[in-house]
Amino acid sequence: MASASGRQLRAMLRKDIVMELRTKEMIMSMGLYSLLTMVVYFVALSQAGSNFDPRDIAAGLLWLAFIFTSMLGLNRSLVHEKDQGCLEALLLSPVDRPVIFFAKAGGNLIFLLAVEALTLPVFGFLFLQGTHLDWGSIALLPLILIVGSIGMAGVGTLLATMSVNTSGKDFVLAMLFIPLMYPLLLGAVTATGGAIVGGAQGVSVFWTGMGWVVGYDVIMLLASYGLYEFIVGA
Amino acid sequence: MTEEHQHTLALEVRDLTRAFGVRKALDGVSLELPVGAFLSIFGPNGAGKTTLVKVLTTLLNPSSGSARVLGRDVVSDAVDLRTHIGLISHNPLLYPDLTAEENLLFFADMYGVEQPHVRVSELLEAVELDHRKLDLTRTFSRGMLQRLSIARALLHRPEVIFLDEPYSGLDPHAMDILDGLIAQIRDSHTFVMISHDLDKGLELCSHALILAKGRVVLYEPREAIDDAAFRQTYRSTVGMGVS
Repeated sequence: MASASGRQLRAMLRKDIVMELRTKEMIMSMGLYSLLTMVVYFVALSQAGSNFDPRDIAAGLLWLAFIFTSMLGLNRSLVHEKDQGCLEALLLSPVDRPVIFFAKAGGNLIFLLAVEALTLPVFGFLFLQGTHLDWGSIALLPLILIVGSIGMAGVGTLLATMSVNTSGKDFVLAMLFIPLMYPLLLGAVTATGGAIVGGAQGVSVFWTGMGWVVGYDVIMLLASYGLYEFIVGA
Repeated sequence: MTEEHQHTLALEVRDLTRAFGVRKALDGVSLELPVGAFLSIFGPNGAGKTTLVKVLTTLLNPSSGSARVLGRDVVSDAVDLRTHIGLISHNPLLYPDLTAEENLLFFADMYGVEQPHVRVSELLEAVELDHRKLDLTRTFSRGMLQRLSIARALLHRPEVIFLDEPYSGLDPHAMDILDGLIAQIRDSHTFVMISHDLDKGLELCSHALILAKGRVVLYEPREAIDDAAFRQTYRSTVGMGVS
């Protein structure tokens, strides 16, 4: 049974990646939105004055961009499944519902990380040029991005599944997703801020934030795992 | 009910009710269908036909009552049951951004079909789409999509095949292919078909069911059906409205 679930999970992931590489719908819309957000931030903060240290707000800016960007992709990922009743075909196959959840969340995570990898250098170029950076702590950034994105992709996949059948799915997803992201956002911004500021204190702050995010991921992924069967069957 | 009796039944539905809020789409439906039978389900729009098929194919849970397909409960044995049933719907249930071959290979993986490439080639040939196997299905006509959908539903060699208005939107050539495929496997499979076409439904069926407002109006084996009386009963349900 475990090998069957593994085969099904790989098949679903491969299918989502092939379709995305073919259409580039999610990556293009998420990537463009994320880059445009960076440009808007840059223009908005260009008059902030010489005393302004972008490191103070860099973490918040980054995660705000990622949260809004992820919502774009999450809706698209389930819309693909609704096209021509594909979700029904998937549900007709002998697959445990949590396997569908992990495959969809896995696909969303991969696309989200790809967009983050594209956004991060642009963000660094626009906001952190010429500022003092502790490269030892900056090296921790990918860790919080990955762990934070796991939570975003997991909860987002669950909520996108709930909202995909509603008439105002974009609105419903936003109304559910943003409040539920609040604890993750708090931990992720804390950890990212710690990594950007650096030093012994920054690293200590980073691990505190990481603890929050890991705890959030575990609780929310377990809840999503448990609820997914009920939600797709509703 | 004896074990032997259970094995001869493809469907056992007992007092099945499915409600959406306060509205009952199915209201106390009971029926038995032997293995190897062909059940045609008729009824006006909103009669509960699609809801019944969705419950029997494990896509919806019953609100009360029970349903078993090939002796398997649609709720507690759902994962096992799905390996024994196939659904051909008026929706193609295919990914438009995958090729015909990729679609079938994907579902072959989902069902754990042995020698998937061989089985996929065999089915593509059967539905006369082998020459288009590398084309994205978004470029297919309605008839081609429906033919591919038939191949998808038969991939894992299901024993019970559900057909939800399968002829809807098909051109005569696609209808002939579907007829041919049904004829080929008619004796070794059980069929449950929703149809608005009385002639087609009665021509194919061994049992006929009329649903209206979520309730069974008539359920009889084909040999017991007087066509004129059946048509009169069907017509009388059309004005009954939704459940």
